[in-house]
Amino acid sequence: MTATEKKSRRGVSSGRKELLEIIQTCDSIAERKFNPFFLDVKLGVETLRQYFPLWEELEDHCLDAHAINRLSEVVRLQNTQLKFQSSALYADPEFVARKVERMSEKRLAEVFLQSWHPITELEQLTNGAVAEALDYWNLLLPIEERWKKREYVQGVRPETADSETLSGLGIRGKEFGKELIAIWNDLREVYSIEKKPIDYWKFVKRGAYQETVQRAFYVSFLVTYGYAKLQADGDQMTLVPNDEPSEKAASGAVSFPIPIPRED
Amino acid sequence: MMLTAESGTKSFYSDKLKRAVHLLLFRRGKMPGAREWEFKEKVGKNYEQVLAQLNELLSELDLEVKKVNEPKSEDMTAEGDHATVEEARYFVTLKGTLGSKEAKMIGWRIDNLAALSASIAYLVSKQGKAPREELEKLLAQKFGRWKAMTLVDVFLRTGYIEEDDAGTMSLGWRTRSEVDLRALMTKMAEAKI
Repeated sequence: MTATEKKSRRGVSSGRKELLEIIQTCDSIAERKFNPFFLDVKLGVETLRQYFPLWEELEDHCLDAHAINRLSEVVRLQNTQLKFQSSALYADPEFVARKVERMSEKRLAEVFLQSWHPITELEQLTNGAVAEALDYWNLLLPIEERWKKREYVQGVRPETADSETLSGLGIRGKEFGKELIAIWNDLREVYSIEKKPIDYWKFVKRGAYQETVQRAFYVSFLVTYGYAKLQADGDQMTLVPNDEPSEKAASGAVSFPIPIPRED
Repeated sequence: MMLTAESGTKSFYSDKLKRAVHLLLFRRGKMPGAREWEFKEKVGKNYEQVLAQLNELLSELDLEVKKVNEPKSEDMTAEGDHATVEEARYFVTLKGTLGSKEAKMIGWRIDNLAALSASIAYLVSKQGKAPREELEKLLAQKFGRWKAMTLVDVFLRTGYIEEDDAGTMSLGWRTRSEVDLRALMTKMAEAKI
């Protein structure tokens, strides 16, 4: 393959790409995604002219014709926009959007009502509609039959729950504040022994998954309420208890979700 | 030829008037009103004169006969109509306007009317067409995202706006029939915030 042929091929390839881009832009304009004047039609035509000598295949000529067609559509839309802008209906979309944003709903409705002349009509039953309704009625099964078709299971009926059941379900237990202080004291004790930041998972993890979740829940409140600090360093998370709960929320505090994997 | 009551042919006209008013007021298909060919067929060649006479009678009741051209071309002209006319449809519309209490009585919520007002004004400012996302975004700022989506569906169902396969919204047949776009845009521009 000679250098001239290679160059020509590259030209054909980039020409197709540019023509497709022109067509896509024209289509977007036709779909009102862009202003018709967004596209420089003259430049588009010059681009078509530049690549026209390279077209040899039918497909390329079709692409060229399609691009011309889309460009002419843009010219038509530009013409329509100019006519529209010179009419009494012209309003800038941004202006309308701002108005809508700032006007009260009542005022917007009033504006509409002042220019609204609703159609007067009477709805009526026609022979066709009555026949259709009769057919529907005749084909409709009795309600008992229709209920039979529905498969449903009788669920457990509501029952009363005693205090023990609620505690067992974790709905009712020790008072929240007392439990929180207990966990805090636990953390302080471990910290006083180890004299270094406590590994989060070591502190939170317990034998039963439910207990681990419960401790993680309370620890999240310890951190939120300023009873402890959570420090994350890569995968390593550590807890440091505060001597006194800090009253103010830490500046730059962020939400830090910690997933608790269930271990089989 | 316009015939008068004095010439003793009033009954001829009253019969035609009745036929015309029946065509206009009683809905037969999906859309209210009647097409031009229906008048030609059922009222006669001079249906325009009959409609003019009917219009005079209805004006006393604050109603009017309105001719709306059904579009063939997609672009809106300076008058808010469509450039190429295929066929006309006639409706009876309210000549005056409704107050907010009356609008509520016929089943419209004020916030829905406000959203309709905003939608139509925005579409007009975009020469009658805009992508659905743009319209929903505009309404979502005022009415919330979920309500905006519901409202657009309501307006589509009631014929105030239309949507093509590409998701482009345009003014619907009902807007073209019921809304004085020039008045709407003027009032919108004049409205104090």
